[in-house]
Amino acid sequence: MMTSIFSAVFSLDAVYVLTGVVLLIFALMTFADRGNPRRVGSGFFWFTLGIIFALGSVMPHWLTGLLVLFLVTLDGLGRVSRGSHQPDQSSQAGRAKALGNRIFIPVLAIPIVTFAFALIFRWLGMDANRGALVGLGFGGLTAMFACLILTRSDARSLMNEGRRLNEAMGAVNILPQLLASLGVIFTAAGVGALIAQGIQQIIPANNLFLLVLANCLGMALFTIVMGNSFAAFPVIATGVLVPLIIKPFGVDPAMAAIITLTAGSSGTLMTPMAANFNIVPAALLNMRDQYGVIKFQLPFALTIWSFHVVLLWLLIKIS
Amino acid sequence: MNIQDLLKLAGVAIVVIGLALRLRTTLVVVVAALVTGLVAGLPLFSHEGFFQQLPYLTKPGQTGIINTLGRAFADNRLMTLFIITLPAIGLAERHGLQEQAANLIRKIHAATVGRLQIVYQLFRVLHGLMGIRLNGHPSFVRPLIFPMSVGAAQVSGSAPRAVASRSITTDPSPDNSLATAGSVPRAVASGSITTDNPLATARGTDPIERIKAANAAAENYGNFYGQNLSPVQAGILLVYGVMQGLGVTVGVWDLVKYTIPIVGASIILAIIQFSWLDRSLGKMAEVKR
Repeated sequence: MMTSIFSAVFSLDAVYVLTGVVLLIFALMTFADRGNPRRVGSGFFWFTLGIIFALGSVMPHWLTGLLVLFLVTLDGLGRVSRGSHQPDQSSQAGRAKALGNRIFIPVLAIPIVTFAFALIFRWLGMDANRGALVGLGFGGLTAMFACLILTRSDARSLMNEGRRLNEAMGAVNILPQLLASLGVIFTAAGVGALIAQGIQQIIPANNLFLLVLANCLGMALFTIVMGNSFAAFPVIATGVLVPLIIKPFGVDPAMAAIITLTAGSSGTLMTPMAANFNIVPAALLNMRDQYGVIKFQLPFALTIWSFHVVLLWLLIKIS
Repeated sequence: MNIQDLLKLAGVAIVVIGLALRLRTTLVVVVAALVTGLVAGLPLFSHEGFFQQLPYLTKPGQTGIINTLGRAFADNRLMTLFIITLPAIGLAERHGLQEQAANLIRKIHAATVGRLQIVYQLFRVLHGLMGIRLNGHPSFVRPLIFPMSVGAAQVSGSAPRAVASRSITTDPSPDNSLATAGSVPRAVASGSITTDNPLATARGTDPIERIKAANAAAENYGNFYGQNLSPVQAGILLVYGVMQGLGVTVGVWDLVKYTIPIVGASIILAIIQFSWLDRSLGKMAEVKR
């Protein structure tokens, strides 16, 4: 009895429902936000995402799939935008001084609770990965309460501030989820196998170094073209990393996967497509050469990319 | 390779071209998924229940694209769990989180431009370790790190006072300089685009331009490589979810563990590059004298 209550409360599903409720609250506030020129579209976007979060484990998959199409259509039609967020401007600076470094307490609570949950789950003989995710949810909740007590604010301004950050990021929030889904559909359609075949025609399947090189080069090139290493990863993972390196050579998948991802980050340093990181800062700093940041980063990026190739190859060799 | 196989790559092409053309990212990704499934001959819906009666939409024994999309999206909700941390972070920001972080940065007494960049990069790695995600260009680099770097350059004599102060004062600096993560476009709107600086020497040798580039680079180095140091970060969750979808289970803590050598390399490389920057700034100053 006790254990079943425990495992229901401290489960991933409970955290998903909690996040869903937060999203539903954001949605209701957006519907009521007259300062948002697209409050109906934006409201429906966050409402639908909230429903998927809260009920995703029990809804039939076809319904979730249709709701995802609805989300993307709303965003595609430009119906999702930011609202107005009038905070109470009551002496922010004064409060900042009064709280001092204590303002870091709620923010630090998030990683501490996450880590604690992972340790407790492992100690109880359960999955530590799941523990970290459940901990992230309860860390967020702990931080909310800590923040409310510390700042003596009300729940309404708490949610309004959350909504402000959420809307500042916007519909792009769901991009990692969509990209992972794209990877799954690529696999179902046999795209990964196809890319793997193509590479095998050029590179002998037993030449580990060339395969590692193709893996890291593909990751960097896709990232340079798309401006986003998160978008490149599912393609490279399904087409190269898993079928040609991890499975045939029996490689530690965690090691190979994370090194492949950051091989993509080296690509991000070199591309104007990652405008947020390379072009916008040049404008913010009034640089004469809009590619000045990329030029500065280029030798660093090429060196650390080569390091990825060598490190991945060496770690596979010695294991 | 037959025609249908080639057509299957249409999805990859759609993603590459769509993102390169800066079309709406979410739409590009889902269209690519639908097209890939359709050219591979997959049905839209699974052959079950109500959908069995509909013509064309299902095929017996095959899972539908929409069903796969729904299942994958639901399975990967973990990647978007960070939304639950936003209310606390937002409220903390409203009560001076960023101002307090800025106070900490101001206490740095780095003797040279290069050392300041390294300390700032480490500060951003620390963010990654704590699971905080933000774009530091508008919130730290522009309002704090750039002026502090110019200050350090003046002390060590590598930036002529006139040029340095001019660059700062003529910048219509973004009034929302302590803006929050994700507010880049707004900051740009209130900032300004590249202007010509008549006092500057040839491109690439202007110390102020080099310093600006180094400021932005320190931010990117710290952000990109440091962010994988916490299992709650998007990159780790993406890798975890994608690998899970491919039938390969990885541990989030193992992902974090194996990113440590990469973070180490990024810091060492940055130390080398920023030391070189200090040396070349010093040479420029000598030439001017």
